[in-house]
Amino acid sequence: MLIFVIRRLAVSIPVLIGITAILFVMLNVVPGDPVALMMKEHASADVIERLRAQMHLDDPLITRYLRFLWDALHGDLGMSIKLNRSVTSLILTAFPATLLLAGCAAAVSWIVGIPAGILSAVRRDSLLDNFFMGFSLLGVSMPIFWSALLMQYIFALKLKWLPVSGFYGWKYLILPAVVLGWSSAGVIARLTRSSLLEVMRHDYIRTARAKGLREVRVISRHALKNALIPVVTIMAIQVATLLSGAVITEAIFGIPGVGRISVNAIQSRDMPLLQGSVLFATALVILGNLIADILYSVLDPRIRSEMKRDV
Amino acid sequence: MKNKMKLLLATGLVGLALVSPVLAENMLRVSYTEDPKTADAQMTSDAYTLPLNIFDRLVEAETTGPGESALVPGLAEKWEISGDGLTYTFHLRQGVKFHDGAELTADDVVYTIDRMLNPATKALGSDIFTFVAGSQDRLDGKADSVSGVKALDKYTVQIQLSQPYAAFLALLASPQASIYNRAFTEAAGDKFGLTPETTNGTGPFILRDYTLNDSQMLEANDNYFRGRPKLDRLLVRVVSDSETLRMLFESDEIDVFDLDYAPTQTPYFYGNDQWKSQIRAGARVGLYYYNINQKRKPFDDVRVRRAFQMAIDRQAILDKNFYGKGKLEDGVMPRGLVCYSPAAPIEHNPAKAKQLLAEAGYPDGVEINLQQVSSWSSKWADMNQIIQAQVAEAGFKANIVTTDEAAYLAARKAGETDAYTQVWSADFNDPDNFFYTFFSQSGSKVRAYNNDDAQVFADLDKARGMTDQAARCKLYQELTTRIVEKDAAWVPLFSLDHSFVVQKRVKNFVVPWNGWSDMSYYKVEVE
Repeated sequence: MLIFVIRRLAVSIPVLIGITAILFVMLNVVPGDPVALMMKEHASADVIERLRAQMHLDDPLITRYLRFLWDALHGDLGMSIKLNRSVTSLILTAFPATLLLAGCAAAVSWIVGIPAGILSAVRRDSLLDNFFMGFSLLGVSMPIFWSALLMQYIFALKLKWLPVSGFYGWKYLILPAVVLGWSSAGVIARLTRSSLLEVMRHDYIRTARAKGLREVRVISRHALKNALIPVVTIMAIQVATLLSGAVITEAIFGIPGVGRISVNAIQSRDMPLLQGSVLFATALVILGNLIADILYSVLDPRIRSEMKRDV
Repeated sequence: MKNKMKLLLATGLVGLALVSPVLAENMLRVSYTEDPKTADAQMTSDAYTLPLNIFDRLVEAETTGPGESALVPGLAEKWEISGDGLTYTFHLRQGVKFHDGAELTADDVVYTIDRMLNPATKALGSDIFTFVAGSQDRLDGKADSVSGVKALDKYTVQIQLSQPYAAFLALLASPQASIYNRAFTEAAGDKFGLTPETTNGTGPFILRDYTLNDSQMLEANDNYFRGRPKLDRLLVRVVSDSETLRMLFESDEIDVFDLDYAPTQTPYFYGNDQWKSQIRAGARVGLYYYNINQKRKPFDDVRVRRAFQMAIDRQAILDKNFYGKGKLEDGVMPRGLVCYSPAAPIEHNPAKAKQLLAEAGYPDGVEINLQQVSSWSSKWADMNQIIQAQVAEAGFKANIVTTDEAAYLAARKAGETDAYTQVWSADFNDPDNFFYTFFSQSGSKVRAYNNDDAQVFADLDKARGMTDQAARCKLYQELTTRIVEKDAAWVPLFSLDHSFVVQKRVKNFVVPWNGWSDMSYYKVEVE
């Protein structure tokens, strides 16, 4: 198992390097000048030229890329051009806010999504099933900027139960967590339902029932364990995505997280910051997938033995 | 990793518990759509709220009426200008203290100007000291300090210019010319202005908290030399979504709603019984304009440019898109600017425009591109749509091209953009701020006009150095005619009012003379 993890981590290093190389080339093909962007309407040719030279922006692509790699290997992701702060500290300062939001949103989506999926499967085609599936369809299909504004309007402006936007206490986390959680709860509920229905058709479930087990036990002990395998994959990837920043939610609810920083970086062609946030997001996705794989092996003995064979 | 996660989570929770924008006594809560990135005025080109509230300048532009300003003593209590317009001597107010307790001296002023020109600073605003003697050598790294700025004694500074520059005093009142403390700023290095610990000024407010992409908290400076501000605290929030901003305002979580961020809300607030008496409006010394790039066919022909000027129904745009809250402009200077006098009106005449196009060799009309940027406010896209329809009547087949801001600025810098619409608001009250920005040899290229009129270039350089104000104003008025009528180099559209809605508890809120969203909150009070 440990060897499996180590091997997976080793494979991820070329992936990370590859991603930075692709990003470097892509951003140099796309037009844009970070210095001109900083000056905006106050652009002056002399100042732009002088600053570009000072920031080594006119050096050849390969020189800049190698310099970046060399610094990154030494744990230095460089300084953000626009924000004039170290990239590592910018990401680490913004990460707690993102972590809180992602944690709460994931909790909402699991607490709502999994039971809703189970109940829908168990009471297939009932009113309850239709209700949950309608609810999840709404969550999946409503764009976040719309559901966010709707929630703000109802719960903050009209009912005055919760604050509109900001990041100053637990109350401020409720709306964004629900908005973000709702959209992924929909996916989880639908997946849990279909996967459970699939499993329930298997012979071993019939055997369990024939043994005289209570239906609750059949589902919780026998069916769920197998049905949740695909759900776990989605959950792990979902958390990794949430952690790399929920851009729209962060912007609407004024949460100073990683997503805001990444968007800033793209808009201002802030290479070092963009490289940093992409590296960060890539690492999270790789980690998320690895955790999903490990959870598989916990849930499914067949996969556990495959892992051993692989090694 | 697990421990690190725990630590991060804990920091987040502590952070959450520490700051809360509860309705504190005597705190004003304002908001902007973007994070200012820094309080250092030398390192920004568009976020001036922090500099205007944390620092002072040698002279200040005080708002004396709607769209009017006067230069008044700031950190300098008086000054003399030599007869040849080359030597400025400033006598500093004595006993002015920085937030850290240090006294302001002439050496701080020398340091501040030198820091802007020091290549190691990588300052964005070095342009404002172009005329200080020795500035170019300092910028090029050929000198260790700028030769034109000297401390004559502890409270007297002398600035030597390389050539007379009539707008220099007005420029010293702009936020970029904020004065710093040498010892503190040198120690803070490139972190100056980024955190409360590395920010120090003489101004009415002290920076106490700065959370990137969230807010800045400022506290009253008890020892401010003009007297302590009436506010105890000033909360500046970053709210990027305009609809969220409106809800924050209506649920009384912020005190000032800037209608610039949501112009479509104008009729709502002006028509709402609860809010209409709470609107504070002022003229903006700024000009909406349509750029014309002469490097792009068919705009190389002056008849086509004139036709474009005549094809746009500016009054209709002002009425429909901005609810009539402004005034048509026909020149290069907007109302409220020194030397302003109304220029000859540009008529809206599609039939004549069509005839001009025919004369230029386009009897069946001609295709043009109008450029806009995806991340800009929707008001620009709305304007382009209405203009696209208007100019069609005269025979222009306008395509709207949307790019992202980086691509647009990169192309504009090289003089390669298509025609675009934008606004320019005065940084300092002098025609130079408009004329030189757009129609000087360098400005005309980097803003993609390519109006290569040697006479205009020469006259603009001449006007900068003139000391006879009446003659100077006359020259600018002649230049207006040449640029707008003869060269038809751009389409001046209108100047707008700037409206803010304030909560009932906010008193003494005055729209600044230039109509900026960024302003000093020193005189504002809350009940």
